[in-house]
Amino acid sequence: MFETFAALAQGMATSFKHLFMKPVTIQYPEEKRQVHERFKGRHVLNRYDNGLEKCIGCALCAAACPADAIFVEAAENSDDERYSPGERFASTYEINLLRCIFCGYCEDACPTEAITLEHNYELSFYDREGAIYTKDMLIVDVPVNGRSTPQPVEPGAFNRAIPEMEDPK
Amino acid sequence: MGHILLRHRDEGLENLHQLDVYRANGGYDALKKVLDEYSKDEVITIIRDSNLRGRGGAGFPAGLKWGFIPKVDGDKYVVINTDESETGTFKDRELVERNPHQVIEGALIAAYAIGAKQIYNYFRGEFMSAAFNFEEALQECYAAGLIGENIMGSDFSCDFSCHYGAGAYICGEETALLNSLQGDLGQPWSKPPFPAVEGLYSKPTVVNNTETLANVPPIIMNGADWYKSMGTERSAGIKIVCLSGHINKPGNYEVEMGTSYRDILFDEKYGGGIPNGKKFKALLPSGGSGPVIVDDALDAPMTYEGLTEHGSVMGSASLIVMDETVDMVWAAMKMIHFFRHESCGKCTPCREGVFWMKIVIDRIYNGIGTEKDIKTLESVANQIQGNTLCALGEFAINPALATIRHFPEEYRAKIK
Amino acid sequence: MSDLVTLTIDGTELSVPKGTRVADAAKSVGIDIPVFCHHPKLEPVGACRMCLVEIGMPMRDRATGEPMLNEDGSPKINFGRGLQTSCTAVVGEGMVVHTDTEAVTDVRGTLLEFQLVNHPLDCPICDKGGECPLQNLVMDHGKMESRVYFEDKRRSDKHVSLGDLIFLDRERCIQCARCIRFQDEVADDRVLQFHNRGVNLEIVTMSDPGFDSYWSGNTTDICPVGALTTADFRFGARPWEMTPSASICSQCAVGCNMTVNTRREARSGGKPVIKRILPRQNEAVNELWLCDKGRFTHDYVASPERLTSPMMRKDGELVAVSWDEALNAAAEGLQAASSVAGLAGQRLSNEDYFMLQKLFRKGLKSGNLDVNNRQIGGGDVVAQVGIAAGSDLQQLGKGDAILVVASDLHEEAPLWWLRVKQAADRGAALVVINGRSTRLSSHATHNLQADSGDIVATVRQLVSMAKVETDGTGALDAAAETLITANNLVAFYGYEGLSYEETESLAKALANLLLIQMDGEPHVGRMNNGLIPVWPYANTQGAWDMGIHPALLPSYKAAKMTGMDAVAMFAGAADGSLDALYVVGADPIGDGWMADRGKLGLLIVQELFMTKTAVTADIIFPAQSWAERDGTFTNGERRVQRYYPAIRPAGDSRPDWQILSQLGERVGAGKAETVTSLVFRSLTKAARQYKGMDYRSLGQVEAQWPVVGGDDRYYGGNAFANTAGLGKQWAAVAESKAVKQFEMDDAVSSREDGLLLINAASLYTAGTLIDKSAVLAPRMAKITLTINPVDATAYEDGDTLMVRTDRVTVQATAVVSDDVMVGTAVLRGVKAMNGTAVARLSKIKE
Repeated sequence: MFETFAALAQGMATSFKHLFMKPVTIQYPEEKRQVHERFKGRHVLNRYDNGLEKCIGCALCAAACPADAIFVEAAENSDDERYSPGERFASTYEINLLRCIFCGYCEDACPTEAITLEHNYELSFYDREGAIYTKDMLIVDVPVNGRSTPQPVEPGAFNRAIPEMEDPK
Repeated sequence: MGHILLRHRDEGLENLHQLDVYRANGGYDALKKVLDEYSKDEVITIIRDSNLRGRGGAGFPAGLKWGFIPKVDGDKYVVINTDESETGTFKDRELVERNPHQVIEGALIAAYAIGAKQIYNYFRGEFMSAAFNFEEALQECYAAGLIGENIMGSDFSCDFSCHYGAGAYICGEETALLNSLQGDLGQPWSKPPFPAVEGLYSKPTVVNNTETLANVPPIIMNGADWYKSMGTERSAGIKIVCLSGHINKPGNYEVEMGTSYRDILFDEKYGGGIPNGKKFKALLPSGGSGPVIVDDALDAPMTYEGLTEHGSVMGSASLIVMDETVDMVWAAMKMIHFFRHESCGKCTPCREGVFWMKIVIDRIYNGIGTEKDIKTLESVANQIQGNTLCALGEFAINPALATIRHFPEEYRAKIK
Repeated sequence: MSDLVTLTIDGTELSVPKGTRVADAAKSVGIDIPVFCHHPKLEPVGACRMCLVEIGMPMRDRATGEPMLNEDGSPKINFGRGLQTSCTAVVGEGMVVHTDTEAVTDVRGTLLEFQLVNHPLDCPICDKGGECPLQNLVMDHGKMESRVYFEDKRRSDKHVSLGDLIFLDRERCIQCARCIRFQDEVADDRVLQFHNRGVNLEIVTMSDPGFDSYWSGNTTDICPVGALTTADFRFGARPWEMTPSASICSQCAVGCNMTVNTRREARSGGKPVIKRILPRQNEAVNELWLCDKGRFTHDYVASPERLTSPMMRKDGELVAVSWDEALNAAAEGLQAASSVAGLAGQRLSNEDYFMLQKLFRKGLKSGNLDVNNRQIGGGDVVAQVGIAAGSDLQQLGKGDAILVVASDLHEEAPLWWLRVKQAADRGAALVVINGRSTRLSSHATHNLQADSGDIVATVRQLVSMAKVETDGTGALDAAAETLITANNLVAFYGYEGLSYEETESLAKALANLLLIQMDGEPHVGRMNNGLIPVWPYANTQGAWDMGIHPALLPSYKAAKMTGMDAVAMFAGAADGSLDALYVVGADPIGDGWMADRGKLGLLIVQELFMTKTAVTADIIFPAQSWAERDGTFTNGERRVQRYYPAIRPAGDSRPDWQILSQLGERVGAGKAETVTSLVFRSLTKAARQYKGMDYRSLGQVEAQWPVVGGDDRYYGGNAFANTAGLGKQWAAVAESKAVKQFEMDDAVSSREDGLLLINAASLYTAGTLIDKSAVLAPRMAKITLTINPVDATAYEDGDTLMVRTDRVTVQATAVVSDDVMVGTAVLRGVKAMNGTAVARLSKIKE
């Protein structure tokens, strides 16, 4: 009799113990798990402080991509319609996230730190076309005090082929 | 003894630029003598025997140069190089301005010797008054039948015209000069072909310095032995020296070859010493293009080879004297600026290398340089050496290399 | 004495022709000496210094002249002081070259460091990045660290428009002057020059409009950095992203080989589109060059105006229908028609022509076949005495002669102009006979101007002079002497100012000239000799070969019954004697040959665009453009060349041959063909001249000089190498048996009274295809009328004139020049036409 009770108590003890332990599961989607700093989630296209896009449309990310997930087309900036401080910008930028293997090579290849892999891992799609993220979906919001692109700028203010890395004023 | 080249300085010959004065004093006798007595080959032999060497700086024997011209019929040209652009050089200007007929006579003799029917004088564009005098002298000669058809009644005919450069140092280089003369961009070409074979308009061409040609009439009149009796064995005759800088008596001097630099600077006959009792510091023996020399080299004779052991050259003998107040880094910087401005840009080492040297020495001079910059300057200069298309690139490195060699402490002083 | 020189490069002994440059000699044995300013087609300048190597010559004893020997018996080599540029150094007997010593390796690193001092290093956005010789060489030989501070670099303009076609980036330029030298030496358009000096040296254009040359695109190819870019490709794609497809230019009779680079494009819905066109090496045809028309006239392929679906007229309206419906209707209509005729354009492929003639001759039992606007006659003569197979204009030089009659090659066939001009520069005698001075005249040894009506008579006189030994000293005599005594003789003929009949007799007269025996040998039937017609279109030759002719079957067999020619068709349509007309790739109404469809019962049009003819048609078949399909063209030198599909077809369009053969199946011309190569195979059975050719042999390549592609450093990319076929020339009759002199008709002068107007060609003349090119739009030829000062008493340069003839009424700007003869006026900028017409001029009041 006692033996039975002891076994029961032992079993319940484990349950009781876990009652007061921190749970390992989280209440997704109400709660979201914190990821590591260097976690490689969905890409974003960054902007400078003034709102200009960092991407210069060089397509080196597409060249580096082992899964051929990135498609870039470039066009030339003008002072009336300026997207990036460099000579050219990405007129089309698409990533097929079904193909992407999140290796981060695109980030390494980027000469202007325009593309970075951030912490968003919530990637689910209803169809294949929805898995293709376009530039509008990838680019970050315009920073405070910045202007959206394209923006008119003073002629001659941006005359570098590739901007130096500091935030252009 | 009177002057041989700067004869207009002699008593009573102030108006030597006028044809009648020149002729009254033996002018065009040499031409007459050549036309009457000598064959073409004999003229070349006399000049070769006289050991007259190029006075533009390279020192190529003039007679040899004339001898390279193919002895076949066809268009040939004599081109006089009066594009006197070397810093501190002003000898040719005085010659064409004050004693133009001697240059014309020399050129005509050269034309006769190689069988040319056309002479061009390529002037530096800034020499307006000199060119004016020279053109006037040409008109006089045309009127007197000394240029044109059947000169002095002989069957030798030759035309003479002038061309004005737009002020480019590189056009003193013979192939660049010829390019400029035929209307192309003033950039040198890679030799071969040499001008003696394919020069102006791809025809055999002799390009001689003004001073070289001015030496020709006296040599013809007095003979090769007379000329050889002056100067040294390998550097015969006389040379016009242009003195400038910190010197009591700047100007042109006719100096016998072999005279020591110390004599030229300090002898009362010539430079007469440094003004204000300052001490001598350095000498540019050949304008900006020759490596700087210091006191220990002053006893060397002024000959084509005299400065070899001191790592420098006689060049065009334009002596720029610097006294103890001169900042040698500043001086080097100025000269590099000059070459950076004058590099024609055709070949990569000179175009990019000299530009690079300029930015490095600017940094050093402005006190923001580092020890590494001095090394860079030296290594860039060494990288240019031997890899350029023409001599300009070789000249351009001299200011940096020679000043670093002689005055390393001045460079180091500029560095924080 | 042999013409070969033996030298040793890095231990490899080789023999090369005298005069070869060391850098080129090294390349021929696979030793790569890096170069920037050197290009094998340009005179060397030795400016970039990249090719410095150690060069030594055997030493000779000064006294005896005997070679000096080392102790081991090997010759003593004197390497002189320092290194020498191998691009300028000419090979010498016994020369020893070292390209891999420490000094050489060092200097390469040094020179590259210098090149990069002012280079902006904007490779990520540079159009050349990925196929850039500078990039490649830095990777191979460069120092991987920079000692230059980035902010010290010279800054300059990055977007300079040299004219509308070419952009210059002054920061990237490494001042190698390849572009300037190309324009001076090869193109002879001296419109580029250096400005300023030293690091500030910059390229400027000296023409108005800027960079005014038909050859400007080539400078972007030979630029060893990304300094020059074309307007159509600027930032268009990265080189590695594009798919190359071999192709042949469809713009003129030269048949330039080219590479079409394509890439998917978002704007076009992800379809591959043509991004750029580059020359593809074929030393016997276009070497490494391409004219701007060939390079930039491709926009029409992607035009939204393309026909994409078959259409039929229902209730007076053209509506889209299915292929089957349209084909069935067309078959029924053609079979029901009382008389049928086929009219073809001259840009179709050989396969198309073959299927067209099969449809008509076998299916519809009709010989009414002709090409639209037949401008030059003598195709049958060319088949007899055309330039021999294996010829290469590049081999003509001193001792050879070229005759150009009634053609402005610069405007009509630019590459031939270039090659003829270069042959003349190499010393070949050039005789030009025309009614006016052309771009070629200044290179001519004999420039004979003749009244347009007298051109044929002049040539005939020349031929008769050539036949007999004359002591004449006249210009014509001298020209005849030059031509007949030449080692090799090539004759070009065109139609400028000549009627069609006159071009026929001209062809015969020239053939007779070529057939004159000099030392028992005529100027036909051997390499680099013969006749070249300057056909107005890319495949006029193919149309002749395939029997698109009312009287000739394939391989020039006479037809049993002569059919209607184009003129008869147009007349028949107007008066109702022709019932059905089938038009393939032609626009007779738009070109003014027909006023309207007249009384035609059935008009079927097979086209790319809704032309004026198509608008009035009953059935329209949408055809594929040349870039969407494969096929073969035969150029004026009778070289059959293959082109390959580059992009997907527009809409539902089908290749011309397929449409024709599917139609043929419905009218009993045999089973429809399915593959182009099989069409070609059956074609070779019918056209005797093409025997032995097939798609495989047309696609074969052999080694060419200069070497491009692979490890080549003249060009960074691989678009220039030819891996897809050099084509094959078919042999003219004269190559296998003797050809007799041609009978000539009695000479008639066509000279009329009054001011005679010649409609001469301009390269950029408005037309269906070129009009769609955005890049060339600002360069389209202005309409000008050139008149001799004697005739132009009432007019001045720049006046606006109204020009009226019975064929055209047009406004033109007057150019007063003695390039044209008295009594003749030359109209340019409108479609070129045969013959002359009496012109009435009036000045338009301002």
